[in-house]
Order: sequence, then C-alpha cells, then structure tokens
Amino acid sequence: MNEADGLVKDLRVDTSRQPGTGTGPDRPAPTSILAAGAASALIIGGLAWVAGAADWLSHPGFRAWQTVCVAITVQALPFLILGTLISGAVNAFVPAHAFSKALPRNPVLAVPVASAAGIVLPGCECASVPVAGSLIRRGVTPAAAFAFLLSAPAVNPIVLTATAVAFPGKPEVVAARLIASLAVSAAMGWLWLRLGRSEWLRMPARHTGHQQGHSRWEEFRLGFQHDFLHAGGFLVLGAMAAATFNVTVPRSVLDTFSGSPWMSVLFLAGLAVVLAVCSEADAFVAASLTGFSPTARLTFMVVGPMVDVKLIALQAGTFGRAFAVRFSAATTVVAIVCSALVGWWLL
Amino acid sequence: MRRPFQALLLLLTGAGVLRVSLFSDIGLRYVKEGLQPFLVASGLALCALGLIGVRRDGLALFERGQGHDGAHSDAVIQSSHGHDHSHGPRIAWLLLPPALALLLFAPPALGSYTATRNNPKIVEDYDRFEPLPAHGPAPLSLTEFIARAQQDDEQSLKGRTVLMQGFVTPGKDGTWDLTRLLVSCCAADSQSLTVKMHAVKAPPADTWVKVTGTWHPRGALGTTSAALALDVATVQRIAEPPIPYIDRAPPVD
Repeated sequence: MNEADGLVKDLRVDTSRQPGTGTGPDRPAPTSILAAGAASALIIGGLAWVAGAADWLSHPGFRAWQTVCVAITVQALPFLILGTLISGAVNAFVPAHAFSKALPRNPVLAVPVASAAGIVLPGCECASVPVAGSLIRRGVTPAAAFAFLLSAPAVNPIVLTATAVAFPGKPEVVAARLIASLAVSAAMGWLWLRLGRSEWLRMPARHTGHQQGHSRWEEFRLGFQHDFLHAGGFLVLGAMAAATFNVTVPRSVLDTFSGSPWMSVLFLAGLAVVLAVCSEADAFVAASLTGFSPTARLTFMVVGPMVDVKLIALQAGTFGRAFAVRFSAATTVVAIVCSALVGWWLL
Repeated sequence: MRRPFQALLLLLTGAGVLRVSLFSDIGLRYVKEGLQPFLVASGLALCALGLIGVRRDGLALFERGQGHDGAHSDAVIQSSHGHDHSHGPRIAWLLLPPALALLLFAPPALGSYTATRNNPKIVEDYDRFEPLPAHGPAPLSLTEFIARAQQDDEQSLKGRTVLMQGFVTPGKDGTWDLTRLLVSCCAADSQSLTVKMHAVKAPPADTWVKVTGTWHPRGALGTTSAALALDVATVQRIAEPPIPYIDRAPPVD
C-alpha cells in the first residue's frame, strides 16, 4: 500500500502540471477525479493483464510453481517461527555473555563444541539462521555461531533418523552424513577465525538485548515481529527461486551427469543448492537418485542443509549480503571436499 | 513497512495458515500430514501476536483512512522512535502474496505436469506378501502393485483383477499412466509412482480415477523385467482424496 500512496502522489503531480485542462492551473485535482482515474487505470491494466496473461497463468507449469512455492513457504514457517521465538527469547531474557561462559574461552576450542551443540536444535535449516544471529548478538564468537548454524540442521536426531529410514540397512550413510557435516561446520568455523572479517557481517543493530526501563515482554514481541517479518520475506524470496528451479529443471538432465564420478559429485552439490529441499526430507530425495554414486548422494545431503537458495536469501537478510555470498561459496567448496573424503573413506 | 501494517501482515499470515491447517485439509496439498499440528500452532502464534500488535499499534486500515498524508505521519513515527524500529523491513511485503494465496485462492495439489518431470520413487523391497483376498478385485496401492509385479516369486498377480486409484497422466500411443505423487516432507520433494494403462482411452489429464484390470503380460511376472502396466477393464471417476500424496489402496464398495 506504500506503492498505492506513491501512485496517488505521482498522479497529483502529473495533473497539476497540465494547466490547459479543465481542472484549472493551480488547483490540485479533486480527490474524486484522482480516485476515478486511478480506478479506471487499474481496471484497464487489470483487464489487459488478464487477457494477455491468462494462458500463461493457467499453464500447468505456473500452477505447479505456485504450489511448490507455497509448499516450501508453509513447510518452513513453523521452523522459522520456532527459530525466531528462540532468538527473540534469547535476546530479551538471556543475560549478555551467558553463552560465552558456557563455551570454552578459546575460540579454536569453542568451534567444535558449538558444532556438536547443533544436535540439540530439532528442525530444519530455517530455524538455525535466526538462532545463530541471536547467539552472535549475545556475545558468542561468530566462528562458533557459524559452526552451530551449519551443523544444527544436519546432525539433529530428526534428520539422522530420516536418513536412516531413507537408507534402510545402510547405517554407514548416517555415520558418513554425521561425520561429514560436523567436519564441514568445524572447518568453516576455523576458516572464519583465520580469514573472516567482521565488516562482512552487517547485522541489524537494533537488537541490544534487554534495556533498563523497557518491558521484557514488549521487547520480545517487537523483536519477534521484526525478525519474523524480515526472515519471512527472505524465505518467500528463496522459495520462489527454489520453486523456479524445481519446476524448470527437468529430471532427465540427471542422467547426463550420473556417469562420471567427479561430475556427478559437483552436479548433485549444485542440485542441492538450487532445489532447497528441507533437511528433513533431503535423504529421501538422495535415496531416489539411484543413478549416482553413494559419494555424490552424500554430497547432496551434506551441502543441502548448509547451502541452498532459500538459506542464502535468509542469511543475506540476517547477516548481510556480503557475508552470505562469501560464506555460502566457501561452505559449498568445503562441503564438497569433506563429503568426497568421507565418502571415499566410509562408503 | 509501518508498525500497524506489520501487525496486519502477521494476522493475515496466521489466518492463512490456520485456514489451510485447522479449518480445512488444504494444507495437505503442500506438506506432509505430520506437520499439521505445527502449522496450527504457528497460525495461532502469529494470530495472537498480530492481535496484540493491533491492540498496541492500531489497525492499519483505520489509520490510513484518517491520515491521507502518509509521508507526514511516517516522519512523525520515525523521529519519535529512532531509525528502524517503526519502519519494519520492506522485504516483508513478499509475505503478502503467499498469505493471500492461502486465504483466498489456494493453489491446487501437484498433478500430471509434475509427475512427467520428477524422478520416480523407488519401491522398497518387500519381505513377504500378504495373500490377496479370495474373491473380487483386489484393492492395491500403486506401491504394492509394483512390488508384487516385480518382486513376488509366487506371482500373486497372475490372473487376478486388481483395483487401484490415482490421477491421470497422459502418455503416448494410446496409453496413459495411473499416477501417484508421494511427498516425504513438502511438495518440493515429490516423487512419482506410475503404472501404464492399456486398452482404455485416456480420461482428461489430472482427473482422479479408480481402475480395475489385470496385469499387462509383458516380461516375466515376479522379476524386474515385468511390465508395470495394466490391461484396464473399468475406469471410474472419483473425487480427489483429502490427502493427495499418500499412496493407499482404494476402499472396496
């Protein structure tokens, strides 16, 4: 409706610039004329749009796109709300530096501890982004928070159980997924310690924890409202991108790449990024990719929860675009290398 | 985005989620059944927070009616609260289309378009097969039909009429596919099961049908060479099942 405001203002400017018309040179056009003009413009535009776009809108591909887009959004909403509630609660109720006391003081040691702590957050990757953001605001070293961010969606019991169900009689797949995911998250934490720059992180500055004189519940509510709407918008953006790939990439291209072992690893890593399948379900998708080597399928399951278009959008919203691009690119490379090594070792 | 709009958007999103989870089965077109309680909880939480927000910050619609000079009132709110407290994120407007879609024009379940392009589901290995009912057409899910055709050493399908349900995917050369889409988490990860239908003209794409017929004899029954196909005797249109993504045997009437 901000756009509508802008439209009305533009119209007003336009009409007042035309001195020759009947409304008079100086007097701004009456509101009723503006309203009628805007309404007819909308109706004409709407009709043209419907007439021209009717074929396209009723195309089964577009309908499938809508369904997938809504499905990804709906599926992720509960997890996003859970993550935002936790993050809001951490922000309003947990005293500053409570986490830094719980973690080892040395950041090099804090990273693997945080990776392992990812086991406690049940759910998929959408929940972990806001939680990691709130951890950083509460004084956790970013490297440890990122390790947690990467490991939580991949190593929690729900996801590991789903993996075991999807690969019946192959416990080594579950083990490989656990080990590779922990390895990637720890490696990325250490990499951030060495190479990361704090100026890449552009986090919204408004969260300062509990302040004297403010109601904690009101802070919690406003924090949740802001974070949820912010992350929700990026979630929809990511869902639209993922749905586009989901509908337009025909699965027949899969067969082209399944032959070569190296290409198949790279290809499934790319597929994990663009499909943005939830980490609780990606094991089932991986299990169905029977033409590919076990290592390639492991890569799919390791990369998917850590990097995908939906997550990149969410991270760009929470940590800033400069961070999201560098971090996602580095994570993809590290995840492919770790999966290849672990797959070669265990599978 | 001004604060009253934020509350309104929370309310709309919550209402949309509740509509598809609590007040109808529409949500099952998008996500697995197990997620339903979480959706209800999410919808309630969003509505509650939205209502509190409306009480604290006023309802966007009423406020708009009074202050026509939007820029002016914006400036007032902004200066009194500081930078980005009252002005929520612009990107949040993206939540509006899905919220309205859920409320007003929920997109349909995935159908034949998706089935022709996504990857087929692998039917797991059965340890043993229950004996089929002695009389009448045997109701089978597509999964079980495929498993019996390709895995059952005792060839339980031989000479039997079976009853299956699914939706229609048009095929080539006068055949069509009886199809189910299966979902393990949400519609984005759907996988398909298909059985080729012979001998009867294809109903329109995406209609849900119940078919009876016998195994189409090609390849050796009980081995992987067995054709996943049916010589159709009867086709009957049925309503779309409430849970479109679960492969169940049709009820016998």
